[in-house]
Amino acid sequence: MASSSSPLPGPSRLNQPPPAPSTSGDSESTVPRPEEKGLDVGILKELARSALVESLNDIQGAKTLILDPALAGPLGLVTEVALLKHQAVDKMFWLEPGPLNVNTRNVVWLCRPKLEFMRTIAEQIQAQQSNPSSAGPLMYTILLVPRATELCRRILEDHGVAGDVTISEFKLELIPMEDDLLSLEMEDVARDVFLNGDDTPIYYSSLALMTFQRAFGLFPRILGKGDGAKKIADLLQRHHTTNPSLYGDIGTSSQVDGLIIIDRSIDWVTPMCTQLTYEGMLDEFVGIRNAHIEVDATLLDSNTAPAPSPSALPSTPITKKRKHHLTSQKDTLYSELRDLNFAVVGSRLSKVARRLEGDYGGVKNLKSVSQMKEFVGKLGGLQNEQQSLRLHTGLTELLMPITRLETFGRTLEAQQNLVAGYDPSSQLNTIEDLMNQEVDWRTVLRTAVIMSLTAGGIKPKSLEIFKRDFLQIYGYHHLPLLIALQELNLLVKSPPSVNLPFSNVRKPLRLVVDDIDDSNPNDISYVYSGYAPLSIRLVQCLTMRNSILSNPSVSLSLSQNQSQIEETGRKGIQRALPLSGWKGFEDSLSVLGGATVDVRQHGEKRDGSIIPDENKTTTTVVFFLGGCTFTEIAALRWMSRKTKGRRFLIATTGIINGNTLMESFGDNPPVQLKQQT
Amino acid sequence: MSLATPTATWDTIQDVFYRKEEIYTMSWRIPDLSEYIIAVGKNGGPIAMIRDDRRPLISSRHPGKPKINVYTSSGIALSTIPWDLSTPILMHFTISSLIVLSDEGVYRVYDLSNTSDYKQYSLGEDVKESGIIDAVAYEDGMVILTGSLGWIELRGWSGGRGIPLLNVGLTEPPTSWTILSPDISPTGHVQLLISTSSTILTLDALEKIDQRISRGPFSHIRVSPNGRFLALITATGNLWVVSSDFSRNLSEVDIGELSDGAGLPDKVEWCGDNAITLVCGGRVVVVGPRGESLSWDYPPSAYIVGEIDGLRIISSASCEFVQKVPDCTLAVFSPGSSHPAAILYDALDHFERKSPKADESIRSIRPDLANAVDTCVEAAGREIEVNWQRRLLKAAQFGRAFMDLYNPSDFVAMAQTLKVLNAVRYYETGIPITYEQFIASSPSVLILHLVSRNLHLLALRISQHLGLRPDAVLSHWASAKIIRSSQQGVDPSDRGAGDDEGVCRAIVEKFEKEGERGVSYAEIARKAWENGRARLATMLLDHEPRAAEQVPLLLRMKEEKIALEKAVDSGDTDLVYQVLLHLRSSLSPGDFFHILDDSISPNLRPAVNLLQVYARQADRDLLRDFYYQDDRRTESGCLEMEEAGQMDHTEDRLEHLKMAAKYFGESKERLFESKMAEDAHRLLTLQQTYERELDNKFVFSGLSVNAFIHRLLMEGFSKRAERVRTDWKVPDKRFWWIKLKALAESKNWEGLENFAKSKKSPIGYEPFVNHLLSLTPPQPAQAASYVPRCDPKSRADLYVACGDWGKAAESAKDRNDKSKLDELRRRAPNGIAQREVDEVIRRVGK
Repeated sequence: MASSSSPLPGPSRLNQPPPAPSTSGDSESTVPRPEEKGLDVGILKELARSALVESLNDIQGAKTLILDPALAGPLGLVTEVALLKHQAVDKMFWLEPGPLNVNTRNVVWLCRPKLEFMRTIAEQIQAQQSNPSSAGPLMYTILLVPRATELCRRILEDHGVAGDVTISEFKLELIPMEDDLLSLEMEDVARDVFLNGDDTPIYYSSLALMTFQRAFGLFPRILGKGDGAKKIADLLQRHHTTNPSLYGDIGTSSQVDGLIIIDRSIDWVTPMCTQLTYEGMLDEFVGIRNAHIEVDATLLDSNTAPAPSPSALPSTPITKKRKHHLTSQKDTLYSELRDLNFAVVGSRLSKVARRLEGDYGGVKNLKSVSQMKEFVGKLGGLQNEQQSLRLHTGLTELLMPITRLETFGRTLEAQQNLVAGYDPSSQLNTIEDLMNQEVDWRTVLRTAVIMSLTAGGIKPKSLEIFKRDFLQIYGYHHLPLLIALQELNLLVKSPPSVNLPFSNVRKPLRLVVDDIDDSNPNDISYVYSGYAPLSIRLVQCLTMRNSILSNPSVSLSLSQNQSQIEETGRKGIQRALPLSGWKGFEDSLSVLGGATVDVRQHGEKRDGSIIPDENKTTTTVVFFLGGCTFTEIAALRWMSRKTKGRRFLIATTGIINGNTLMESFGDNPPVQLKQQT
Repeated sequence: MSLATPTATWDTIQDVFYRKEEIYTMSWRIPDLSEYIIAVGKNGGPIAMIRDDRRPLISSRHPGKPKINVYTSSGIALSTIPWDLSTPILMHFTISSLIVLSDEGVYRVYDLSNTSDYKQYSLGEDVKESGIIDAVAYEDGMVILTGSLGWIELRGWSGGRGIPLLNVGLTEPPTSWTILSPDISPTGHVQLLISTSSTILTLDALEKIDQRISRGPFSHIRVSPNGRFLALITATGNLWVVSSDFSRNLSEVDIGELSDGAGLPDKVEWCGDNAITLVCGGRVVVVGPRGESLSWDYPPSAYIVGEIDGLRIISSASCEFVQKVPDCTLAVFSPGSSHPAAILYDALDHFERKSPKADESIRSIRPDLANAVDTCVEAAGREIEVNWQRRLLKAAQFGRAFMDLYNPSDFVAMAQTLKVLNAVRYYETGIPITYEQFIASSPSVLILHLVSRNLHLLALRISQHLGLRPDAVLSHWASAKIIRSSQQGVDPSDRGAGDDEGVCRAIVEKFEKEGERGVSYAEIARKAWENGRARLATMLLDHEPRAAEQVPLLLRMKEEKIALEKAVDSGDTDLVYQVLLHLRSSLSPGDFFHILDDSISPNLRPAVNLLQVYARQADRDLLRDFYYQDDRRTESGCLEMEEAGQMDHTEDRLEHLKMAAKYFGESKERLFESKMAEDAHRLLTLQQTYERELDNKFVFSGLSVNAFIHRLLMEGFSKRAERVRTDWKVPDKRFWWIKLKALAESKNWEGLENFAKSKKSPIGYEPFVNHLLSLTPPQPAQAASYVPRCDPKSRADLYVACGDWGKAAESAKDRNDKSKLDELRRRAPNGIAQREVDEVIRRVGK
């Protein structure tokens, strides 16, 4: 190992010239140190993109592409439709039942391996064959995402078209949504895994994580909580040992220090709570799908007049909706805002508005041509900023009235009281009031679920009354949903027949934090204004154990004066400790139930050195099986900012919130009854 | 057979050196090759031949039954394949198999390692009817010209369906045609070149282009190994070379005189990418770009094989290789070369003779020493003769000694490679592969080929020598071992039970010894099973760590339950589905459900879950049967509820709701749910009744209880609303909310007022104020009228919400709430509101 203790230059075989004198003294300090950045996950996007291009190129001649609508969003994150046009895709249709209208030689279906799609495709092929097109026989290809399944082959065989179709796969796995966020963008994973017991998403997750390891090296350590987490960890090890041709030569990663798998079933409380970060609120009340939000075109178009004044009513007659990609890459203002508690978004926006005004105002003070040139150069940036300011002001205006609703306030109060364990039975009255006012059924159920989880079930009589009222108000078709929630142990009578551990870990994991400063948070609990997500506390058990045991700044503020606090505020950034394992939290873990995972992996060789480096930043991957919320993402980002030497890379099966969960657990709403004649 | 100088085999065509070296003296006794249809594998591959029954038999011997003989390049017989179909149209070697196509539209794929075993595929009825005229193959496929003058492309050798290429509309067979295989064609797909009348057509699956050439027809079209040039022979005996896109004319030569006036050549091949070779009877002519040529005679006949870097000439007596002398070899050996490598080579000579000139020579090339060493290493690779290889490597080693820094990896790699090449070129192995071919085709291809020749030990040693994974070799070896041991004793009892253990142990031990984890035991087990050794197969299968590999064989072996367990263990749900669907189609429903009964086998629970997921989407009857058989009343009930929602006819929906209530009722735990399903049924029935009573003017069906009451109130049927309220025991609070909303929505302010007064509101009056304000448009005046009934403490704020600052101030004043008044003054907007508040404050001040 090289030693730096000797002050004398050692004998060097290669006589290097001394470094040239630097012309600008501060050039080094202005360049951000590369170690500060986490893993470069762009390569995954590139992999997905080139895989698609190759798959399409392999098909000779003009193609008609028929796309699974649910894939359009995820696909748009790795490539652009324009690119598809280059690969000789002439026409694109949605995959839906009904005859094809094709005049190209090839027909290519791109879809998830779902049975209903296979049946549709089979019917379309049969229809086409019984009525051959003039251009001669067509070539049929199905690209299945992320893999071709035997099940699909069988369905095609049963319909007698298997011989006419080429089946191949397009491995769209972890999609980089942001620098620190990867998602499989799979839908309804929680339902499949935890309600239906269909472990397909677990298997896909394990394959995606293997691909990740092929790109970045073997996780030196795998930690996790929950039975699903255990299954993934087992599968990862099994893939590694039983498939040496594919994974045999992966070295242990030098950039990633570990994988933490959080099984959603360990923490249902968090997604049930109403998210209070900006991005979380947008997802709850406007809806974010595949990183896209659908908003009035007027908010996006820079040419139209500024958005109507706030007093204007929300029901403007004709509003054209447009999809907008929410990304920090193009919108720096968004990256500033998204993880803030919504309470401080307004003031942050006005600050930016004032600064922009000042920047534009700068035009008056231009004295020389060079100053003007500089200003003009800045203009483009200013316009972009102005545009994103308009968008986010508009969105904030959209959310503001919702937060002012009496029902919103009461819901929040009930949820926070329940999480804090304060007077559960009176919260039931609040839930009843909310139902009487017919607030959204999902909100009501989420709050009831929080009650059941935090208070150890609901008294049988009260629960029955609640269910009866719920069905009367929102319709009897929700009955299977209520049964599903019972089977998931989310809505049960007390005393519960199963372990409902929330109240037992509330204290030890410091889930409820009273004094939280929304504008300058000192704890992750700011994302729910006082509730620290259990899932993320578990991650902190492994990476920031001090934050669980105590709140550093609170204890400081009691003993020290203002200036000292500010100093520690700056110093509030902690050095990353090595991944510690679960030691010290055994009690909480055993109370939580489910398997606990802690295994070490060893590759054949190590890529790069293992020399511990003070300034090196390591990446810790946190994988959510069953999806995560934007608040959890915000909390992990906060932790990344507060830790020197560690970045969290969030990976998930998809992004969820309480509403999407509730919808997925129930059946489709009933169809319209036919009018009687 | 060491020669005095390496240049003894050299000759020139127009100042370009070519060399022809004899590699093998043939071990066979075949007097005349022209009596046979011959196919030769690329890269020094084997030779297959079958007597051509279209030729008159010269010798008097009876030919016997037709058979295909396979020989090494050195003429050692490898195997004999009986041939019972009509004369082959095409024989073609891939790396590990021989493909034989008969004109009846059938082709067979023989595994070279075991030619008694073959797979036969048909090209379909159409092809069978029209017959096959001709075919051209490449490594992964072939193109067939059918009797109906259409071309069909076949990709892969595993029985895939042929893809018809664009119809050209020929009326007679082309005079000649060939293909550009996907690896050299510009499009990456197979391309055809067809000579018809005077022109050439290029054709692929998508388009046909007429190259508009008027010099045809051509008797031969050959593509150069790199795909960039074409050699065409015209009917008038001209050899014409053009670039393969016909854009550049490269040379044109009259070959009439070259072939001794024997007319058109029998066969045309490229010799590398530089020269064309013609065969006329027993004469082989290599033609340079300007018509100069070299020729050799091989009476009575010769067969030529084009390789990427030269040409193999196979005759009755010998196997020879012709190539343009490579540049590195030229640098060292060409007469009078002043290349540093030549000087280095020379210096070694002086050194060995202890001549001082050695030192002088080295000095003179000092700056170029690295180049000289590299060139010698390169040249060593191009020599077939071991002596010259040694000599050149030695020269390189000698030069190396004079260098300060030298990276020996090229040297070491070359020495290793030569060891491998010499081993496979040894006449018993008989693979005359050149260095260029070895590099271009990759070592693993060579190993695959060796394995297919059953040269396992050699292949294994080479794998180890080159640092390659030995799994392919080992797995092939194991299969071969099983096949051989199975053939030995015809009677299984002869083998004894110990034999299975013995074979299994031998295989496992061998794998462990070679430290190989990647070998597929399942693959080997399958071989054992196919050879009727079920017990051995089971034993081997136990060593397979990958469930995906185990399961298909277990199913074939009828070990259904084990297969299902393995599939479940693997975590791969698709594998579980595979087994489930297999079982579903092969077992009776009773047996099927029995296997899945999770009270017997709780570890199969995941499979049961998946069955439900599948059946829910694809097979509802199966699902219903399963739930019924398994006493899953809750699931049955939920299924009925779900299906009720999908029915668009009221009667059907009612029926399902009834069934749901029934199923739920059969479970003690689900009495509440049963009641709810009944309620749902009752509600829909009542809605129907009301619709009928009201002459179907209104639609109530499908509404929830709340919405139903709301609707009835809106339409003014308060009696009926009241009935629903009592029937469903709707609590007071909720009913007040419904009614408040309904009245407000219909803007029945008077009704609302009366309702508010009817009795003391169970929900208070703040909801009246707030709800009226939340309407679109808001109703502040109406709202304000309910403020006096609210709690005095909140009245001021409620008035503010209604926009009535004066009343707000008044109510604050009434409570003597000074601080509230101050707050109001601060908050009040300018104008009237401000003045109103001030007015009240002034009055307080009085």
